[in-house]
Amino acid sequence: MAAQEVHQLNIGPLTAHAFNKDRTQVAICPNNNEVQIYQKTGNSWNLLHSLFEHDKLVTSIDWAPESNRIVTCSQDRNAYVWNLDSITNKWKPTLVLLRINRAATCVRWSPNEDKFAVASGARAIAICYFEGDNDWWVSKHLKKSIRSTVLCLDWHPNNVLLAAGGADFKARVFSAFIKGVDKKPPPTVWGDKLPFNTICGEYSNGSGGWIHGVAFSPSGDALALCGQDAQVTVIYPGKHTSEIKLSGLPLLSLVWVSESRIVAAGFDCTPVLLEAKDGLNWQFSKVIDAGKKKTAGEATVLNRFRQMDKRGIALDSESGNADLATVHQNTITLVRRYDESHDHVSTSGVDGRLIIWGIKHT
Amino acid sequence: MSFRKIDIDALDEEQLSREELFIFSNGVANGPTLESVKSGAIDVRNALTRGDTATALSIALDNPPYGLDNDEAKTQNTRSVLDVLSSVKASDIPGHVKSLSSDQQLVLMKYIYKGMAAPETGQSAVLLNWHEKLTEVAGVGCIVRVITDRKTV
Repeated sequence: MAAQEVHQLNIGPLTAHAFNKDRTQVAICPNNNEVQIYQKTGNSWNLLHSLFEHDKLVTSIDWAPESNRIVTCSQDRNAYVWNLDSITNKWKPTLVLLRINRAATCVRWSPNEDKFAVASGARAIAICYFEGDNDWWVSKHLKKSIRSTVLCLDWHPNNVLLAAGGADFKARVFSAFIKGVDKKPPPTVWGDKLPFNTICGEYSNGSGGWIHGVAFSPSGDALALCGQDAQVTVIYPGKHTSEIKLSGLPLLSLVWVSESRIVAAGFDCTPVLLEAKDGLNWQFSKVIDAGKKKTAGEATVLNRFRQMDKRGIALDSESGNADLATVHQNTITLVRRYDESHDHVSTSGVDGRLIIWGIKHT
Repeated sequence: MSFRKIDIDALDEEQLSREELFIFSNGVANGPTLESVKSGAIDVRNALTRGDTATALSIALDNPPYGLDNDEAKTQNTRSVLDVLSSVKASDIPGHVKSLSSDQQLVLMKYIYKGMAAPETGQSAVLLNWHEKLTEVAGVGCIVRVITDRKTV
């Protein structure tokens, strides 16, 4: 079984988490309008900063490793870029004008950290970049053919292409080329002429359903998407499409850990590993957290009533234990890469736990 | 109070219609027409009279009608699938389920839910039995796919 570190950072859900470059600090949102930054000391996390600037639930956080800037977005339709003031040691917010009239759902820095994308319920993705002349973050909208809320984003390693999946059952690959920020990218499998707002591809899972997660492979030559129909589709544009029908519940988030391995997680409360046998044929490989056997405990009447009082559910009378067998006790909403070597991934979810999984030997 | 009766969704230019959600990577489709479903139903009945329930099931589940304006064909095919399901002995169900392809399992699950949505046919006990055996083989993922799928049968 894989080694893992478990950190209970909140009693309620964690809506987002992001590590800094050396992974000594983590930014999380404890299911409210606050962003908390924790510092790792030994094996525990200490609250370092609380960032209050949003009015509503913070939906997504991303931490740029090189430039050490945090971007957050929220249901209050705003995004903030946070810079650490080295003199006062405080995080300073800068408001970004997103020009959207619905909640922002997801935010991600581009690989070069010179722009970021904000997905929203306004059927648009705001591509934001810094305009030096005005000392201001400005945004351009990707709107073409988006018919509903955009739920997830992932940048291509060339800093220009952006994948987005949404509630209109579609995942799309857009060009987010910004004149003056980007240099003309070399041709990729997704196309060679890439002016802003070009749709390079439109994909859906077999039977529809919201697309909860999209991810480019490390090379950027393949795209994986997972949706509410409990399927994962891996697309090699123009060449091959591989569909994995899961026997379990739908996945909400996925990351590639190599060109032939994907770690994904969702409603089943455990990360799963998907692998490509002989290059292109993707298959469900295994459940990473198989879960421990429930130990038989004392099923006293007192225990039962205590459990019902605490959780509002009657405990499993045989084991005397209402906990799930898995390490995560509820749905996992986010899987992220943890280190550059791809030996670990981090997950967070509705149970308020942040878990770091070693996946190298699984 | 007349303003309360205005369908404000109709005034929204960016309204998402049912038809738009029904576009798949392989285009809009309705599946087979009423005629081909009727001829399929005859094959199903012939197989059933021979006592070959496995073939009957596989014919009934292959190429089901779906789509938005195909209700008559849908009703027709539902009837033949339910005929097959009720003529299989309870002890034979696991074997039948295992011999289906994963696509056929998905279609079967759709018909089980469709049948259970019409309890007046009085087949709920049979369908629950099939549902249990099918879930053991295909997993809960199959149920989720049936609930999400726009290609209703």
